[in-house]
Amino acid sequence: MTFAFRVLLVLFALSVANVNAQETRLLIPDRTLDIIQDSGFLNVGMYKDFPPYSYEENGEAKGVDADLGRRIADALGVEFRSYWITPDENLGDDLRNHIWKGHYLSKTRVADIMMRVPYDSVFKYMRDSTGEMINEQVVFVAPYQQEHWKIVFDEEKLGDVNTIAKFQYHPIGVEIDTLPATYLTSTFGGQMRDQVNHYMTITKAFDAMAKGDVSAVMGMRAELEHNLKAHSDRPLAMANNGFPGITKQSWDVGIAVRHLHRALGYSVEAVVDRMVRNGELAELYQQHGLSYSRPAYYDVILGPEEAE
Amino acid sequence: MSSISIGKTFTASALALAVSFGAHAVTDQDLLNDHKTVDKIVTYGMGYQGQRYSPMTTLNTSNVNYLTPAWAFSFGGEKQRGQESQPLIEDGVMYVTASYSRIWAVDARTGEQIWQYDARLPDGIMPCCDVVNRGAAIYGDMVYFGTLDAKLVALNKKTGKVVWIKTVADYQEGYAITAAPIVVDGKLITGVSGGEFGIVGKVEAYDAKTGDLLWTRPTVEGHMGYVYKDGKKIESGISGGEAGKTWPGDMWKSGGAATWLGGTYDPETDTLFFGTGNPAPWNSHLRPGDNLFSASRVAIDPNDGSIKWHFQTTPNDGWDYDGVNELIPFDLKENGKTIKAAATADRNGFFYVLNREDGSFIRGFPFVDTISWAEGLDSKTGRPIFKEGGRPGNPADLDGEKGETVVAYPAFLGGKNWMPMAYSPDTELFYVPSNEWSMDIWNEPVSYKKGAAYLGAGFTIKPANDDFIGVLRAMDPKTGKEVWRQNNSAPLWGGAMTTAGGLVFTGTPEGFLKAFDAKTGEELWKFNTGSGVVGTPVTWEMDGEQYVSVASGWGGAVPLWGGEVARVVRDFNQGGMVWTFKLPQDRVSAK
Repeated sequence: MTFAFRVLLVLFALSVANVNAQETRLLIPDRTLDIIQDSGFLNVGMYKDFPPYSYEENGEAKGVDADLGRRIADALGVEFRSYWITPDENLGDDLRNHIWKGHYLSKTRVADIMMRVPYDSVFKYMRDSTGEMINEQVVFVAPYQQEHWKIVFDEEKLGDVNTIAKFQYHPIGVEIDTLPATYLTSTFGGQMRDQVNHYMTITKAFDAMAKGDVSAVMGMRAELEHNLKAHSDRPLAMANNGFPGITKQSWDVGIAVRHLHRALGYSVEAVVDRMVRNGELAELYQQHGLSYSRPAYYDVILGPEEAE
Repeated sequence: MSSISIGKTFTASALALAVSFGAHAVTDQDLLNDHKTVDKIVTYGMGYQGQRYSPMTTLNTSNVNYLTPAWAFSFGGEKQRGQESQPLIEDGVMYVTASYSRIWAVDARTGEQIWQYDARLPDGIMPCCDVVNRGAAIYGDMVYFGTLDAKLVALNKKTGKVVWIKTVADYQEGYAITAAPIVVDGKLITGVSGGEFGIVGKVEAYDAKTGDLLWTRPTVEGHMGYVYKDGKKIESGISGGEAGKTWPGDMWKSGGAATWLGGTYDPETDTLFFGTGNPAPWNSHLRPGDNLFSASRVAIDPNDGSIKWHFQTTPNDGWDYDGVNELIPFDLKENGKTIKAAATADRNGFFYVLNREDGSFIRGFPFVDTISWAEGLDSKTGRPIFKEGGRPGNPADLDGEKGETVVAYPAFLGGKNWMPMAYSPDTELFYVPSNEWSMDIWNEPVSYKKGAAYLGAGFTIKPANDDFIGVLRAMDPKTGKEVWRQNNSAPLWGGAMTTAGGLVFTGTPEGFLKAFDAKTGEELWKFNTGSGVVGTPVTWEMDGEQYVSVASGWGGAVPLWGGEVARVVRDFNQGGMVWTFKLPQDRVSAK
């Protein structure tokens, strides 16, 4: 099972984990809101080396997720501490390793809150084949942004991109083992498959585009915008094409806490909700040079967001 | 003049003395003869071939019931899980690795610790499949093992002090080492485990003395191999000739095929045999083609790392049937001829007998009760005949609903997983620790990865029968018949060993080390070690007595990925011990 279906282990690991939940729960620190405030710090879980969301520069945590974490810690009256997460095969693994159980190599290390956790009611209430709730150990709170898949392309090479059909003829870069990789290699019966170039990161895909190896890159909008800044010398542009047949083109992102720590969850949600409503979050993204889309969660509450 | 000459003589003899006294250096001859000698075990596999057969008869079917504990040794600390190691024995010392990349030298007579070495593992390491280590290699005055952060460590075998450490691959890219390395002709040879997306399997040889890299051979078509001479890196041919023959687009660049279980060696043909893991990405619909050399056995020249031949067990794998399982060289005596054969029991449920000189297919047959994904094997080539509807669906075809469930036998953990089988030239049977289980696979309507929407499949692993999962089987490589079987409630996850005394040993997750009659399968002896046995037993002779040792400590992949199987194993306690038994001298002739 090395390379395994490990990608496939989506549910599976979680359902096993549920079986073990009772015995292992005691091993991890039980940092409730009170204990966090007594301790004077908040462990903010963020993905490592993941610009523009969260990354380290000269020992300092940078990125929008880090800055939002700082605002939350401030509001709780505690010090912000970064807790770096190496992503596992899928979100379920990350939640298990860093929120409610701990990784088996360091069982007592968990984050108090975890940033950039998709906020999706289907995922929240998903059940395994025995009917057990898969994510019952976690509560999902504070949706703070909506993220999208987008394409950035080289205008000199492609002129414009209105449909993805163009990539039957032109090479396009993706990050390995992501939805864009799967989508572009399978859609239209695999007709674009041979044009898809896989890279370890979006940054590497941009480097390849700068060298002319690919004419476009598909990834998350914020990641693309971040990399556009580093390649301002090239005529690169963001496309507005659709993605027919893609399983999910946009999704809300929020914060996860352990299910026993609901009071913490409510406090975090209060801070974030205020920031979404008063425009502070949009400002924060602007400061980072990124577009901001309000989570779709707020569409029902506040009415549809004005067009960007 | 004469005084100088005397001085020279003296120096030379003193040197010779120092060598024979101090070091008991392990030689190439020791390694080559390991399967025949009884006073030492200096290879993983009790011989280069990995037959795990001991020619000893002191302990046999008539006296094994007197096998008695001699000593036990605790690995200590809190790292009580996943002891998949096979001990080595040399000059009265046991060298045994344990989980979390630890190794000990222990007095083989008393069980007293001589030294301990713990690899310092970096924070944030993410090995894919538990924290196991399967054993060490020994050569000259050094002992070697691989670590979870993908390094090779060479220690002075007397002191446990580090001689050199080399990074084989970057753990941050998802590489690790869990298998025992192998030494051939002064070269320390290792594969790699790959825990993340984007890896490419490889086999590498290092100078056992200095740790200098000698050659590297990628196991995915399209990647260049290299030999290193005088500090220069010289191209030595692209694996498979060129890129893109059996892979679409650029997928060969990250094709997987990790060589995570190490290899065997055949001195007669001077060939290494390494197995390779499954291809990436996991969704087989994205990579039409055979995807070489994933899920294959690859025959490699130990001198320069070139590929002599390959045999692929699962082309375009869609079930996670890694092809890593050990290929065991053996002499197949058939129709008055002796064929240089080799055999392997694959994760995919088929047992293969190959000609080890050229990799040609001799025969293949199921060794598990049910195989759902293939009708059988092509009788000429051994290529599987895929069954319609047996392949998991393409998640890209999903329309927002949970995809259709495909039931696959065996489960991805395999008809046989990592645990090595044994071959007895006496009975001419293979003893295969195997499992009967299936998996349900379906495409998930929602999944996420690293903050982004993703396409994943969900699955659950299920016992194929109500009352057992594990089966220890005696398989006849000539007829494909199962000669005997012993069912076990929990899945078997430990290696097998057989002896000229007519015995087969293996452990169970329930905690027992067991001995069976090699001819009939009758259970003759068992001992509860206190935790699940997922290690591989060995036997040797010391001071005229026959000893048996096995590591004990439940763990490995089953408790991590057990699905419904978890219910069978959830109450097993973890551990970390090595148990040593002997047949007391006064019992040798007992009936």
